[in-house]
Amino acid sequence: MGKYLVKRLLLLIPTLILVCVIVFALMRMIPGDAVDMVVYNYATNGQVITRAEAEAKLGLDKPAVTQFFIWFGNMLRGDLGNCLFRGDTVWSVIRAQLPISLELALLTFLLSLVISIPIGLYCAAHPDTISDGVIRTLSVVLASMPVFWIGTMVLVYPAVWWGFSIPLTYVSITQNFAQNMRMFLVPSLVAAVTSAGMNIRAVRTMTLEVMRQDYVRTGWAKGAGEGRVMFHHAFRNALIPVITLFGGSVAGLVGGSVVIENMFNIPGIGQQVVTALNNRDYPLAQGCTVVFAVFVMLINLVVDIAYKWCDPRVSLE
Amino acid sequence: MKNTEKRRRKNAFLDFLGTLWRTKKVAFFGLLVLVLFILVAIFADVIAPQKMENGLLASHLMDAAKPPSLEHPLGTDAMGRDLLSYMIYGARTSVILGISCTILSTVISVIIGVTSAVIGGRFDLYLQRFIDAWQCIPGMLIMLILMSIMGPGMVSMVVVLSVPGGIGGSRMIRSAAISVKDSGYCGMSKMLGGKNVWRMIHHVIPNIMPLVLMNLANSLGGTIMMESTLNFLGFGVNINTPSWGYLLTSQGRSKMYTAPWIGLAPGLAITIMVFAAAMFGDGVRDILDPRLKGGMGSFSRKKIRRIAAKYRSRKKAAEGTNG
Repeated sequence: MGKYLVKRLLLLIPTLILVCVIVFALMRMIPGDAVDMVVYNYATNGQVITRAEAEAKLGLDKPAVTQFFIWFGNMLRGDLGNCLFRGDTVWSVIRAQLPISLELALLTFLLSLVISIPIGLYCAAHPDTISDGVIRTLSVVLASMPVFWIGTMVLVYPAVWWGFSIPLTYVSITQNFAQNMRMFLVPSLVAAVTSAGMNIRAVRTMTLEVMRQDYVRTGWAKGAGEGRVMFHHAFRNALIPVITLFGGSVAGLVGGSVVIENMFNIPGIGQQVVTALNNRDYPLAQGCTVVFAVFVMLINLVVDIAYKWCDPRVSLE
Repeated sequence: MKNTEKRRRKNAFLDFLGTLWRTKKVAFFGLLVLVLFILVAIFADVIAPQKMENGLLASHLMDAAKPPSLEHPLGTDAMGRDLLSYMIYGARTSVILGISCTILSTVISVIIGVTSAVIGGRFDLYLQRFIDAWQCIPGMLIMLILMSIMGPGMVSMVVVLSVPGGIGGSRMIRSAAISVKDSGYCGMSKMLGGKNVWRMIHHVIPNIMPLVLMNLANSLGGTIMMESTLNFLGFGVNINTPSWGYLLTSQGRSKMYTAPWIGLAPGLAITIMVFAAAMFGDGVRDILDPRLKGGMGSFSRKKIRRIAAKYRSRKKAAEGTNG
């Protein structure tokens, strides 16, 4: 296990380098207005700066490969560069906003688990009954509803009907738990419900697949109770594909946080990326994307380790 | 010869429709809804009450945000355009993007997956490492970055929606292609001197076709959803092109209370279209991949209990005669 972990962690390094190359290359391809913007910004502050000076300031006067290695080297030292327009370092912006995005993602993930696993198991235990059909249809409908549409309705109607509104200023969870939850619970519930649609169906399908196995038949035949067969025989074995699914959904969750954060005005990294891309703030957008990618990489690692934990047959070599 | 070939193909398609109708009524219904959307998109100019002029729906600010009436069956939007017409033209955007991106992304998946599997070796290894890294960057972010590179518009949306999906989907195609490649007939073809390209076209691709079709049918819903999400975030088609996602973000949100029809119509339309696509995709998958069929088959709990009871009583009876 330890050996495997070391190997996986070492393999993260080339992947990280490749991710950085991809992100860097993509960012360079965005039509370059940054220089103009810097010149314009200085001009509005009453300072005059030539294009060449601005390019030198941004480090754009060097060849692209050199730029990459400068950026990558600085990144390894924890310096992601300076924001073009905010006067902050990229890292300080990310450090302030990362916990917010993480909290949202974690809450969404947990809620999605809490919703989809019991319901999926219930459907698997009672296949082809009316309740199963209703739940399945509903879950497809949920998965078909755009999250931004549900979010809009959730933002508007409760506010009008019951005067319920989501706080607009962020308070950290340690400062004021209730206020923080008031802000995060609704967005993460919206995200969780829409992703639960797909997860319920997956949990059901995977569990049913397992329930066709001989050992489950043995379980029923030896007279084991419903709960024992469902959890001990069926669900534990269905966990592997389910973990793959949930692990895979984390990347989608991160992508979804872009929409959720923009809609509910949560000052997380997802919102920051959109603003940065709109402003052509390359260092910031670059930094945020890399942070997201690292997050997804770590989740993938956790998923692989979780395989081992729930199925001793899986060999990790 | 050519004629019989053609007839056989047509029959295969009709057969498929027949199977869909007989075994998967809901999926057939989903297909019908999709066809309806496609027809609406094709004949948008004929059925829309307010016609598009020079690629624009004229706004009549006097009629802004009117509730549904006989004249405007769905009401008007905040710029006084007939909402029904806007929705019909929006269907055109969604249908064009949905279908072209689904096809293009599947084609990209097949090209990447099959070449990677058939060529193998170093090429496969490096390509897969690249895809590993690519997969680590959330798709939504890649799409936003690509949209920033290419600028708004239909063409860039087609590229942006299909390239990341195509790269992601190539994984599944590759693993299927590898199992075909390792099979006897492919080895035989290689032994007889078949080139890589020959084997790809004549052996690998025909044999993974069910998976490809499944992939095609399954990714349609997601593509439409993604398209409307990008439009919602403002990284989509030109603002003059009617689009459901953009209508929601530009007007639906702010008018949700005072003029709910503006926000409800596009959301409902997206939901119905994605739902129909999902239903159709599920049906296609069930037909093409019998492994995935739900239900407990012969192992239903009641049946097993019954067999177990019978076995026990028989055993008891046997013990009775013995003792």
